[in-house]
Amino acid sequence: MSDDRTDMDDRNILAGEYALGALTGDDLRRARDLDASDAEFRADVERWTGRFTRLYEEVSEVAPPRMLWSRITADVGHTGASGNVVALRRKVSIWRGSALGMTGIAAALALFLVFRPPVPVPVRAVPAEPMVAVLGDAQEAKVVANWDPDRRQLITVVSGKLSGDPAHSHELWVIPAGGKPVSLGTLPGSDQSHVTLAEALAKLLQEGATIAISVEPRGGSPTGAPTGPVVASGPLKPA
Amino acid sequence: MTITMNRGVNDGPARDELRALMLATADGDVQAFETLYGRTSGKLYGICLRLLGNEAEAQDVLQDTYVKVWQKSATFDGDKASPITWLAVVARNKAIDRLRQRLPNSEDVGAAEGIADGGLSAIDVIEDRQESERLAGCLDELEQRTRDMIRAAFLDGATYPELAERQGVPLGTMKSWIRRGLQRLRGCLER
Repeated sequence: MSDDRTDMDDRNILAGEYALGALTGDDLRRARDLDASDAEFRADVERWTGRFTRLYEEVSEVAPPRMLWSRITADVGHTGASGNVVALRRKVSIWRGSALGMTGIAAALALFLVFRPPVPVPVRAVPAEPMVAVLGDAQEAKVVANWDPDRRQLITVVSGKLSGDPAHSHELWVIPAGGKPVSLGTLPGSDQSHVTLAEALAKLLQEGATIAISVEPRGGSPTGAPTGPVVASGPLKPA
Repeated sequence: MTITMNRGVNDGPARDELRALMLATADGDVQAFETLYGRTSGKLYGICLRLLGNEAEAQDVLQDTYVKVWQKSATFDGDKASPITWLAVVARNKAIDRLRQRLPNSEDVGAAEGIADGGLSAIDVIEDRQESERLAGCLDELEQRTRDMIRAAFLDGATYPELAERQGVPLGTMKSWIRRGLQRLRGCLER
């Protein structure tokens, strides 16, 4: 009986560790299996999550860049399978037809429309020219970075294995001619990564800039500048 | 137009309004969705930035989050959690997925892949308001270092090995600090 209780207690704490996000390896796998198969465990995870979520009170609000809303609407519009999309189109036309004369909610919404982000305007990168950088590596890896200015997307393809170890991240940088390195984020573990860049960053991707990858503490450089060895770099050129 | 997850939102008109926006969004009302975005994206972006530490990834995750909100808003259960809590959990799960995918060649790669298509991606959360209100006080009853580690895990997305490295203690020590901390926290919350 006391064994049962201990076991249940252990499981509840495991649920807490899982909700906290601290688990790795075998413990993480065990928690995931239980979460998928055991309703009680799952409820424990949900409850712990609810508790910890309170910590978000201390996280400051940061306004996302305006263009993000247009990216979301573009995605939502193209999610073909979702029943919501049909509804979306229908609602848009209803709203166009009768923006007034609705319920209290609609009236409240109408007030907020004043504050809504402006209708998306296509963003033009300054030189709208596709670029490519081939990043040589002293070891056996090669990295090709393709810059698509229209979508403001940098696609990085790694062939071979970049030197490094699991305790570290690979961070991608752009170094404007004569300037300081600016982080473009860390690379995922996979061979290919797509990063959509904010407008301010996109402007830095011009001919003459250098793209580089450095080894950083997991999660990226803590200082905002490269702190580890550069494992690959190459100049950005018109594609 | 501040959104905080404090009692004011849980009790007040802000919470009711977000609920109405969630319902309308579930019904496919794009204007409601847009207003919901306007009211909540600052908080969610703050959460993503804190977890991911860079703007480009935080923006990608925020984008995915609201696409998921649009698709899944019908599964929101107002009896289980407040809208802002539910939204925060959607964002958190996406950000954690992203964070775990960064680790190349680690023992967690397989697990991270699993998470990407399920795992922590479930959006369910149960919020007990009385417990919620006691959380800060109960955390204060823990040792400072344990409290700091719990906050670092949840807010920064740090895992046990990372926490152990940060503190310069063996992994087993870190695990037992946190496990003991969770036991005490639970005892206090359920008092």
